[in-house]
Amino acid sequence: MERRNFIKISALTGMLATLDACGRPDQELIRFVPEEDLIPGIATWKPSVCTLCSAGCGLLVRVMEGDAEVVRHGQRGLMQMGLAKKLEGNPRSPINQGKLCARGHAGLQVLYNPDRITHPIRRTGARGSGEYQAIGWDDALKELSTHLTALQSAKATNSLSFLTRPLSGQRRELIERFLKVFGAPPAVWYEPFDEAVLRQANFLSFGHGALPTFDLGRADYVLSFGADFLGTWNSPVAQSVGYGEMRQGRSGRRAKFVQVEARMSQTGANCDEWIACRPGTEGLLALGIAHVILSNKLAPQGAAFRAGSLIAGWSAGLPESTPEAVENQTGVNAAVITRIAHEITKSGSGTAIIGGAPLAHTNGLFNALAVNALEALVDRGRDQGPILGFTPDPAIGDAGQPAVSAPTGLAGLNSLAQSALGGQPNAPQVLFLYEANPIFSAPPGTKIREALARIPYIVSFGNFIDETSAQADLILPDHAPLESWLDSIGESGSLQSVVNLAPPAVAPLHDTRAMPDVLLGLASQLGGDVAKALPWTTFDALLRAAYVPLRARGGSIDPKTDDDFWTALQAQGIWSSTPGTASAAGSRSAAGASSPAAARRAPTAPAAPEFAGNADDFPFHFLPYVSQSFGDGSLANLPWLQELPDVLTTAMWSSWVEINPSTGARLGIQPGDLVEIGSQQGRVRAAAVLSPGIAPDVVAMPVGQGHDNFGRFASGRGANPLSILATLAERETGSLAWAATRVKIVRIGAPEQATLTLFSEGRSGFPHEEESR
Amino acid sequence: MSHKWAMVVDLDRCTGCEACVVACHAENNIPTVGEDQAARGRAMHWIRVERSWEGDFPNPQIRFQPVLCQQCDDAPCEPVCPTYASYHTSEGLNGQVYNRCIGTRFCANACPYNVRFFNFYNPTWDLPLNLQLNPDVSVRSVGIMEKCTFCVQRIKSAEIQAEAEHREMKDGDFTTACAQSCASKALVFGDLDDPDSEVSRLQSSNRATKLLGELGTKPNVSYLERGTWQDATSG
Repeated sequence: MERRNFIKISALTGMLATLDACGRPDQELIRFVPEEDLIPGIATWKPSVCTLCSAGCGLLVRVMEGDAEVVRHGQRGLMQMGLAKKLEGNPRSPINQGKLCARGHAGLQVLYNPDRITHPIRRTGARGSGEYQAIGWDDALKELSTHLTALQSAKATNSLSFLTRPLSGQRRELIERFLKVFGAPPAVWYEPFDEAVLRQANFLSFGHGALPTFDLGRADYVLSFGADFLGTWNSPVAQSVGYGEMRQGRSGRRAKFVQVEARMSQTGANCDEWIACRPGTEGLLALGIAHVILSNKLAPQGAAFRAGSLIAGWSAGLPESTPEAVENQTGVNAAVITRIAHEITKSGSGTAIIGGAPLAHTNGLFNALAVNALEALVDRGRDQGPILGFTPDPAIGDAGQPAVSAPTGLAGLNSLAQSALGGQPNAPQVLFLYEANPIFSAPPGTKIREALARIPYIVSFGNFIDETSAQADLILPDHAPLESWLDSIGESGSLQSVVNLAPPAVAPLHDTRAMPDVLLGLASQLGGDVAKALPWTTFDALLRAAYVPLRARGGSIDPKTDDDFWTALQAQGIWSSTPGTASAAGSRSAAGASSPAAARRAPTAPAAPEFAGNADDFPFHFLPYVSQSFGDGSLANLPWLQELPDVLTTAMWSSWVEINPSTGARLGIQPGDLVEIGSQQGRVRAAAVLSPGIAPDVVAMPVGQGHDNFGRFASGRGANPLSILATLAERETGSLAWAATRVKIVRIGAPEQATLTLFSEGRSGFPHEEESR
Repeated sequence: MSHKWAMVVDLDRCTGCEACVVACHAENNIPTVGEDQAARGRAMHWIRVERSWEGDFPNPQIRFQPVLCQQCDDAPCEPVCPTYASYHTSEGLNGQVYNRCIGTRFCANACPYNVRFFNFYNPTWDLPLNLQLNPDVSVRSVGIMEKCTFCVQRIKSAEIQAEAEHREMKDGDFTTACAQSCASKALVFGDLDDPDSEVSRLQSSNRATKLLGELGTKPNVSYLERGTWQDATSG
């Protein structure tokens, strides 16, 4: 083609394309004036806080110029703006030390998720029908405040309920304060894998009602009872940093790591010795090891301080817990018990950790107290004090406080459900829903679905439709975390106090509003005492008032004025106390001994676990486990995590059931076969994975899949093991005993009927028909 | 100054957490292919964590091994490419020129490590997921082979930065996305031409091995074997 012709044709097609867009409003986006001054191609790094689990890792967000479709003043248009391109760990954070886990990286896909709710909506069809109508923020807030004023004038302010997951920092403070001044009952903080049992045990044993911090980099011997500390439990990034150090960080000193669990976790896969223990008997095993230590005088009996005296028979050397007796109870060989007792005491610096399934039995608190006593006995510290410590309270907000007195977790959810179903005078009339999805994550026995149906008015602040928010009458979508003011107070993972605070890393894409700002706006509309108690107009003003007093504590930011402190805190994203100023680790035993609640408590006798379902009809223990990718299921809508191969099975986009090969052989189950797991509460189906890392009488299933209404990436995929759990609770704390359900297994069909996709093998039986494109 | 980029993977530190896998997706605009394509074995992970089981219950053992392009000195993928899309850079990388690639897939056949991935379709991102794309990395289209580049865009931008500051690029100026996220420091990236770099030091460890080194591919990724626990009480 001649050059001249080419230019003519190009010009013509270009013109046609322009004309083509005319008269089609969706292609006539207006262009907004940029709000920021950005240089194309140059990245800036802004601090933020990871919200994909509760560890509180600090982030740095790589922000670069780009064009995005945004909504401003109700008008959709294109804007040149700073866009988040990559997340990295913030090196200033003493918790994650510049590192970030798989989930953390996927925070970007929360921000850019195509299934986000982009503006306020009001339900028009039946609940759950998915029929909504767009509504402006002004109208939406007017509607909401009308409902609240009606409660006030009917003197029924106690029929406002707030259902959320356990939050940290000032979001929690704000919600608590709002509910209190409004006259409503405290919020219900529900998540299926809450840590109430461990916090309570640590409060009793060590005087700190918080999650523990392990300085693994100094450990010579780690004995872990079920804790998936490298994957999903507590502060995995901080613990992984320490793990690398204890393996190869010190020349000539490689720690030994022993994992006790009935199903090999990602963490257990890294151990030097793996011990399968009967589910729920982990505490008895700990006492067996303690018995050998005490009777051979490998450590002084008083070394365990208060933690030891909480266990019945401790001062007498635990005469009942001989290795032989414990072998009968736990299935762990007596010789192994004796050997571990000798190894851990001679190693120099040993530590015992408990987390996960052992706490999720009806005797979870006993298991935790027994392991804590063993920990105090063996963890005497070699150089710089014990391996286990607690993050000092920065004297602000809620961190480090003992277990909350209001009913939380399963108990809170149950009481909410019962009062709604019972139709009592104080039954909830208005429910606020924020970052909790109990219809998916609570066992069916809580009847939360039925209870929500009885509540006349439900408002959700969620930015996605999920099983629970689909029941809402009004949805006021929150910003994505990277678009929000964020704060968190580190509960564990560091022996320094850590406060994360970050302004929005990027401007909002959609017509959303931050939940804290909506609450503050409501407070000012309601007026009176409510407005007086919450005088801030925006959340950042509240954050400033809460965190500027930290300046008096010194620490990592040392400015001359409050204004300078506030500016520096926003720029750095982290405030941490000076290392070693508040040694919680050193004072833990004394604090435990002096705490009045601990002193009142009678010694705990060994307790056996109870299970839902008898062993004849339901021969297998059922172990749902927290997924490395999806947590409790709230991250299942992120495609990077859906396509991330599970590290033990290489499974993607799927659910599966882990079964011991000998059990599979006995029941005629081949790899990939479709099987059905049945409990007294229900049945789920998934593909079988035959794994040598699971006891023959246990079957395990990852939590996270099985959503029926959670966006395009998660809906209609796999099965939800939480939906067949019994509503058993830990005896003393009332937490959900999610490892206490018994099940049976039936083979349903060949792999073709299941949908298990493996990265290593694709999907067996997948038809390889001709493709056309 | 010349550079020879290399990586050391300490299998004693690796926990199998797969932070590297997602970090790589985010950095390098790797598409998620969806369930159906994944079921056909077309999922793309430039770095993956392989696991092998040894033994049976009650003493099973798992070993994790992150596998990425080994950036071989004698790379089997390079000589088979009819269009010179796979070529060897002066800094020791197995480069892949997307514009030259015509999708014969000879390179993927030749590679013993299974670390090359073919785009069977044009990648798609449901809007606004496209906004996550890294502007420093080109998006590959249908018919193109892609693979780990040792984050060549980070190498280039560190080079430009050093030049702007009138200095030599030095070890630690940058690292790959996978190594940056690795909490247990199992992945260490650096320059073998710098005798003081961390990779030079680690590569001379007596635990160092090469993956399928017997094939003569001369990989620039070294693996440090898992350690064993020495019982202080028995000795």
